[in-house]
Amino acid sequence: MPENAILTEKLTRRFGNLTAVDGVDLQVAAGQFFGFLGPNGAGKSTTIKMLTGLLAPTSGRMHLLGVDFAGNSLEVKQQIGVVPEGMGLFERLTGAEYLHFVGQMYGLDRSTTRQRSEELLEFMQLADRPKSLIADYSHGMQKKLALAAAVIHRPRILFLDEPFEGVDALAAGALKALLARMTERGVTIFLTSHVLEIVERLCSHVAIIHKGRLVAQGSLEELRRGVAGEAGTTQTLEAIFLSIVGQDGAVRPGLEELSWLT
Amino acid sequence: MADVSVQLGVLRQIKLVAGLRWRILRNSMRRKNNRMDLIGLIFASVFGALFVVILSVAFYAGGYAFVSHERVSGIVLLFWGLFLFWQLFPLFAAGFGSSFEFRTLLRFPMRLTAFYVIGLAYGLADFSAVAALCWLLSMTAGAAVAQPGVLPVMLLVGAAFVLLNVTIERLLGSWFERLFARRRTREIFLALFVLSMISLQFLGPFLQRYEKTVQPALNRLLPYLSLFPPSLAGRAVAGVAQHHPGAAAVAFAGLFVYVVIFSGLLWQRFAVQYRGEELSETSAAARPVVRREVRPASESSDALGVLSPQIAAVVRKECRYLTRNGFAFLTLLMPPLLVFLFTSQFGGKHPTVTHRAISPDMFFPGMMAYLVLILLAPSYNSFAYEGRGIQTYFTAPVRFRDVLLGKNLLLVSVLFVEIFLSIIVFAIRVGLPAAPRFLATLAAVVFVVVGQLSIANWASLSFPRKLEFGQLRNQRQSGMAVLLVFGVQLTLGAVSALIFFAGKWTGKAWLPTEAFAFLAAAAIAGYVAALDPLGQLGQRKKEVLIETLCR
Repeated sequence: MPENAILTEKLTRRFGNLTAVDGVDLQVAAGQFFGFLGPNGAGKSTTIKMLTGLLAPTSGRMHLLGVDFAGNSLEVKQQIGVVPEGMGLFERLTGAEYLHFVGQMYGLDRSTTRQRSEELLEFMQLADRPKSLIADYSHGMQKKLALAAAVIHRPRILFLDEPFEGVDALAAGALKALLARMTERGVTIFLTSHVLEIVERLCSHVAIIHKGRLVAQGSLEELRRGVAGEAGTTQTLEAIFLSIVGQDGAVRPGLEELSWLT
Repeated sequence: MADVSVQLGVLRQIKLVAGLRWRILRNSMRRKNNRMDLIGLIFASVFGALFVVILSVAFYAGGYAFVSHERVSGIVLLFWGLFLFWQLFPLFAAGFGSSFEFRTLLRFPMRLTAFYVIGLAYGLADFSAVAALCWLLSMTAGAAVAQPGVLPVMLLVGAAFVLLNVTIERLLGSWFERLFARRRTREIFLALFVLSMISLQFLGPFLQRYEKTVQPALNRLLPYLSLFPPSLAGRAVAGVAQHHPGAAAVAFAGLFVYVVIFSGLLWQRFAVQYRGEELSETSAAARPVVRREVRPASESSDALGVLSPQIAAVVRKECRYLTRNGFAFLTLLMPPLLVFLFTSQFGGKHPTVTHRAISPDMFFPGMMAYLVLILLAPSYNSFAYEGRGIQTYFTAPVRFRDVLLGKNLLLVSVLFVEIFLSIIVFAIRVGLPAAPRFLATLAAVVFVVVGQLSIANWASLSFPRKLEFGQLRNQRQSGMAVLLVFGVQLTLGAVSALIFFAGKWTGKAWLPTEAFAFLAAAAIAGYVAALDPLGQLGQRKKEVLIETLCR
């Protein structure tokens, strides 16, 4: 197994004059539970879209599991699972039909697909509405189904864009346990979330992107030491995050500027 | 305490909404696809304008003729025409409707009066309303030229008629919106609507065949129509023109009562919306699970086993989507039914239109061309119903050519079955044409279908447009895709017709068969050659596809 599950070199994406992702060098070791953080519009979703093949980079390179994405996208995609922004579900299929479809798209045989689908639907507590279309699922149910579809082919890297958004506490607990088990077995998980407490609890390593540039990367301890030295090793991730993305002094206006409101 | 000290007046609020609509339109032009779409829309608008202008002349002539020749009661027919068009056209061409949900404005401090007036104003911005207004004005001008004295009453009745029509149209729209809030109701009604449209096709032949029985029954119904608004409007004008002010006043009062009643109903509907009507769908209750035995899937029993798993998965998914899309599914009923319909009218032993039936040799190619035209049109926007699922095609390890191939395979299979069924109906009703013509037509079908597939795939990738299941309103194809469909089908149709005529002119019966066989082979080769480049184009266009379909 290669040392780095994900390695990017000068990864850049421009939209016209806007540089959404600017020369990002990411390193995610195999088996890490990796949190990718950033304020709104920082370039998180653009980065994850490039890493999962939904968006072509303007320049730079991406290596996943040691394979160059550019020339071997199919080989790479076989090894990764994705819960994209918006979940990417075919809403006119039932949950089971969707899992069968995805399983076959990843090349699984029909009996394996059927067996895994049933087990995943059971685990995600989606088995009690076998005939419901995905369009009729609640947001949380759709999220769970998207996660089930992302793992059906036993990927080696899992990309999760806000995986716990809209998921109830009971299901979220089960999902976290599942994800933790997967990392124990060597699966790399790349997660974005705005809920910093979740990232802090689950992730061993974190990168922070701000205005398209990677401004911090490392283990939580390394980030804490980097921000506050040895004395600051008890700082929360939120404090670290605010301290890093607020360094340019452009975080937010003071409340005195909204005196007409307050 | 909020800072808003002065509530905006109704006119100011309407002006603000109009400005908002303009900015939405202007900003949408920033996207290249929308600009291309606008070009298509402009072409469509030119045809629409021509239609309106030609009928405006007809309404002018009608208004003039009825009033000047003392057959003024005939003006009722013109009012009926306007009324039916205004109320029915939005159902048939719902795609032209505005994509802006003005109910969303309710979050702002808007008065109920402003909400009501804006709702009516939106009704006046529909194509049906604009066209009907043009025709009403033309009719008024025609009547006024014939007899200047009717101008005031035409204007008065016209204003009431416009208000009534726009009110009824908005009221029906609002009721339908309430009714169709649930997905399942929406789909059931759409299916019923399509079925009724198909049934309407048979009305003409039915009436022709049973004319003697139907006519007296219809005549008995006619007097009751005089109580409806178009008749009342016509009678009010006729009353003035014939110097019967009492009859005119009674008819106008009747029309006014309609206006008051429907305005009251619409006010009630809008008031309910204004107070915050809940239209969202509630999830169905979970049903108890019946555990099924996990049946090991046998690979050998897989009917799609010859295909790669990815292509087979796309074919299965497309098949499920087809059966769950009421509109698309019902269009599959159309081909054999249309063959049945047209053979009743124009061909066979007992044609209803002419005593001399069209020969199968002429009829068969024309019928097949018509069926291909209907069945292939949706393939020009084949990703329309994918929604967010489109992302799966790009995250999964699948070549995009396989996605296109899977979609095309299902389409071709459906076409094969449809054409086979249609040929059977044709053979029973009319009989098959001579062998050279029959085989030439089949080869022509292969040429036209396969020849179009690559272009349709290109159009689907280049001009995607999201469509929703079970919805009539706001369902509009890309203008460029529509132009392309017409252009390509006209060209291929013209080429095919030329080849058929060449066979006739040269006296070589098998010439068209040979030519079409060659063209079909070339089309198949072209399709195969184009698959890989189109797959690569799909990868390049993925951002546009995702952005358009995931909205």
